[in-house]
Amino acid sequence: MGGARLIVVGCMLYVSAGVPANGADRTVSVTIYNDDLALVQDRRDIEIKGGRQRIEFQDVSAQIRPETASLAASDISIVEQNFDFDLLTPAKLMEKAVGQEITIVRVNPATGAETREQALVLATNAGVVLKIGPRVEVLRDDGLPVRVIFDKVPDNLRARPTLSVTVIGGHAGTRPATLSYLTPGLGWRADYVALYSESDGKIDVQGWVTLTNSSGVTYDHAHTLLVAGSPTQVDGGAQRNYYRGPQPRTTLQQAGTESGSRERLGDYYLYPLAEPTTIANLQTKQVSFLDVHGVPAEHGYEFHNRWLGTSETPQSAKTIYSFSTSAHAGLGDQLPAGILRFYMRDKHGEPQFIGESRIDHTPMGSTLSLSTGDAFDVKVRAVVDKRTRQGNFDWQSDMRYELSNALPRPVTVKLLQEGLWGDSRITAESQKSTRRSADTAEWAVTVPANGKASLTATFETRF
Amino acid sequence: MRWATLAWMLATAPAIADDILASAPSELSVTVYRAPFRASGSIDLDSLGGFALISEVRTVHLPAGLSRLRFEGVADGIEQASDIVTGLPPGVIEKNREGKLLSPSALMAAAVGKPVTLLRTNKITGKQQRSDGTLLSDAEGGVVFQTSEGIEALRCSGLAETFNFAGVGGLAAKPTLSVLVRSAEASTRTVTLSYLARNFDWAADYIATLSGDGKSMDLGAWVTLANGNGVGFPSARTQVVAGRVNRENGEVEPLDAGGPILAECWPRGSTSDTAAPAYLQFAGRAESDDRMFKRSVAAAPAAQAITVTATRNVQQEQLGDLKLYRIPSRTTVASRQSKQVRLMDRAHIPIARVYGADLAADQSTPPAPAHLLLRTVNSAANHLGLPLPSGRIAVFASRGEERLLLHESGIQDRAVDEEVEFDLGDSPDVQVTVVNEKTTGPARAQVHAIRVDITNARPADINFELRLQMRAGGRVVGADHPVTIKNGRPIFRLAVPGNGTVTVRYQTVPAG
Repeated sequence: MGGARLIVVGCMLYVSAGVPANGADRTVSVTIYNDDLALVQDRRDIEIKGGRQRIEFQDVSAQIRPETASLAASDISIVEQNFDFDLLTPAKLMEKAVGQEITIVRVNPATGAETREQALVLATNAGVVLKIGPRVEVLRDDGLPVRVIFDKVPDNLRARPTLSVTVIGGHAGTRPATLSYLTPGLGWRADYVALYSESDGKIDVQGWVTLTNSSGVTYDHAHTLLVAGSPTQVDGGAQRNYYRGPQPRTTLQQAGTESGSRERLGDYYLYPLAEPTTIANLQTKQVSFLDVHGVPAEHGYEFHNRWLGTSETPQSAKTIYSFSTSAHAGLGDQLPAGILRFYMRDKHGEPQFIGESRIDHTPMGSTLSLSTGDAFDVKVRAVVDKRTRQGNFDWQSDMRYELSNALPRPVTVKLLQEGLWGDSRITAESQKSTRRSADTAEWAVTVPANGKASLTATFETRF
Repeated sequence: MRWATLAWMLATAPAIADDILASAPSELSVTVYRAPFRASGSIDLDSLGGFALISEVRTVHLPAGLSRLRFEGVADGIEQASDIVTGLPPGVIEKNREGKLLSPSALMAAAVGKPVTLLRTNKITGKQQRSDGTLLSDAEGGVVFQTSEGIEALRCSGLAETFNFAGVGGLAAKPTLSVLVRSAEASTRTVTLSYLARNFDWAADYIATLSGDGKSMDLGAWVTLANGNGVGFPSARTQVVAGRVNRENGEVEPLDAGGPILAECWPRGSTSDTAAPAYLQFAGRAESDDRMFKRSVAAAPAAQAITVTATRNVQQEQLGDLKLYRIPSRTTVASRQSKQVRLMDRAHIPIARVYGADLAADQSTPPAPAHLLLRTVNSAANHLGLPLPSGRIAVFASRGEERLLLHESGIQDRAVDEEVEFDLGDSPDVQVTVVNEKTTGPARAQVHAIRVDITNARPADINFELRLQMRAGGRVVGADHPVTIKNGRPIFRLAVPGNGTVTVRYQTVPAG
């Protein structure tokens, strides 16, 4: 315990009021949620004197939500908790010295000779006015060097925002106490690396947890637990963006129904880090959690056409990779939300980046279909050939889709015509469609190697 | 003070892991991707919106046990979440990137609550006075410290004051990647580090030269690639990738490169309005101005060198659904440099010159110049038949020995056997006038009689395409020239004689 005492002495030098809680037997555990929120539990030995006493915590997160802080230890009762954010600056120091005596040291700029005087601070409005004996003076009005020495730092002024708890202790003695609080500024997401092999249609996937800390402090040797989920936060919590931009594609094709061996808490999945780690301020940390090889993946193409979408020049189809997260012929795990980056080997065997896609929390057993970008060689031109009015709100639209493929192998493009609102029917089509939903018709069009294909469809719409 | 020093030493217990520095890269590969949002056009050296995949091979000597392997000299635009390290033993515990960089303010922040030595220098005699103390606060730009004499504020006295920091470490000058790894035995390993980095870009720059008769052209192109990072990549295998790849707007990892120390003091109002003497000026203010100046110099495009390497063409290969172009020999992708490598050279490509206009089918429009296009098909028969990545095309024509620029425009990705059109801008010699001669019928079923005059002030005959934009379900009837449908729109294909006029008449009738 000798070391701990010395540290307390060292800290007492600069904050005299209260007992800084700075025990050496400190364990920190940090539980980090996805949505810029973390629960910090800080356990350390605190010397309880018996009776009323203030305990200060200077190394808490700078973004702490003080209303969520709570201190627990045996045989103490909490009187009050304060969060002081009056910061120690030269201006505050002078402001709080109004009406008090300070020491000024005049330094002769030529000789360096010092003259000491006691001065009373009269005012600090736009300039410092001092009373020295019978004289009233403006500090450094003549520009000559004057040192100002204060006797002490006023209470409540601190270098960092500080949480202090006033307690009434029962019996005196050192005992463990746990401070827990919520703080924004800590967050995590998953980052996946997928290497696709074109020859056998398989992917190797590595998953990394990426943790960022911008909370303003370092958590030393922290037991870290990551929770895949975003607990609801109400007003006063971290800001949430309620507007979600238009989602162009659904990446989750089939929601899974399998359970893995991962630990759960309620409906959240837990990812504990194997050993305690130091999460430094402004650090980005990555820890591996998934490494799967040889998962079958399918490479396909997709083209979405909005209602009456027509283009003068052909547009690229999207490149799609789909795979399963099932235990059977899949990744065999649920995937926390994050970004999946696809790589593929070039002719020299070097992995090259071919695009990335965001995924949401995905249950085990799901089918994911991810777009990595546009295909250079597979293009579609959608054209509205003719529009004829059948009645007041009844239109017939003749659509033509021209597909081209500059690859030396045949490809199949999943062609989706969207926006079939209301009672929309396909009265004629050159190839049988499936109606994915009332709004969307789908064709699987095969385009020969280095060739073209064409599809026509007549829609009747009543709106 | 001995107590405080001892406490400080105890508080910074020795690091549990030894720091191991990876060797400088022995093998480098840079693959540059285009800005995902740019469908056509060239790069902007001032804001490079693309990115690059960088692979580095480094050698490390790992001792047995726990070590922290550090990679220095990675690109400043590194996206840490994307990095991949291969070749390490299985015991990789975590990868880290420190965002808190060494700066005067970071040094000050790290020293809060710790012992420092204050140095005061007499400006006349140069004599130094040292006193030991503790740094109490650096809040909001002001610095408060304590010595045995009492509490004082830094640089408020008008004396030359500064601190000596001792034992404040652990801050890196640049974003540094480190890997915490536990190795069962000492070994020397070859490690590959791959990561994505921002602030790169590339585009194709085409130069078309029209032949004297205007019926064919020669087409050459450069790959122009640029690195806006402060780190160069010497003797690297270099590739560029064409095609649009998806990029998610991932969160940017936090980074604090430090602000200036302002040494804010108490209010400094005096009884005089005259300017304060020089030694009253904020030391920090001058520093911050200097800092801004340095930053702007660093970003100035004037510093960017443009290198044209020998004309050896890049080699193209298929990469999934993308096109990869390999620069044939190793090259140095220097920091803040743009580089050009030959993409292709093709001659005698037959082209059609087509004038055209896109018009609303039933409205009068005053005379407007027609649009000129060069049209060809990207096929082997036309001496092309290779993927054309997006970029910028400059069209030149010869005038005797000289070459004159006609027009510059953007070009999108074009696959083999696709139709390719190069925009040549407006032609004032060919004007199109639309007159709505007569409107008949009730409000919702109006029939318009339209006359279009196409005038040609050029001495040669021209091909003209008149494309009409119809209201939904509308039709063209009673036209006095043949009308066809292209892409769902009525189109007149006309030959306009040199120094002549062609007049087209038609009627539009609404749907139903």
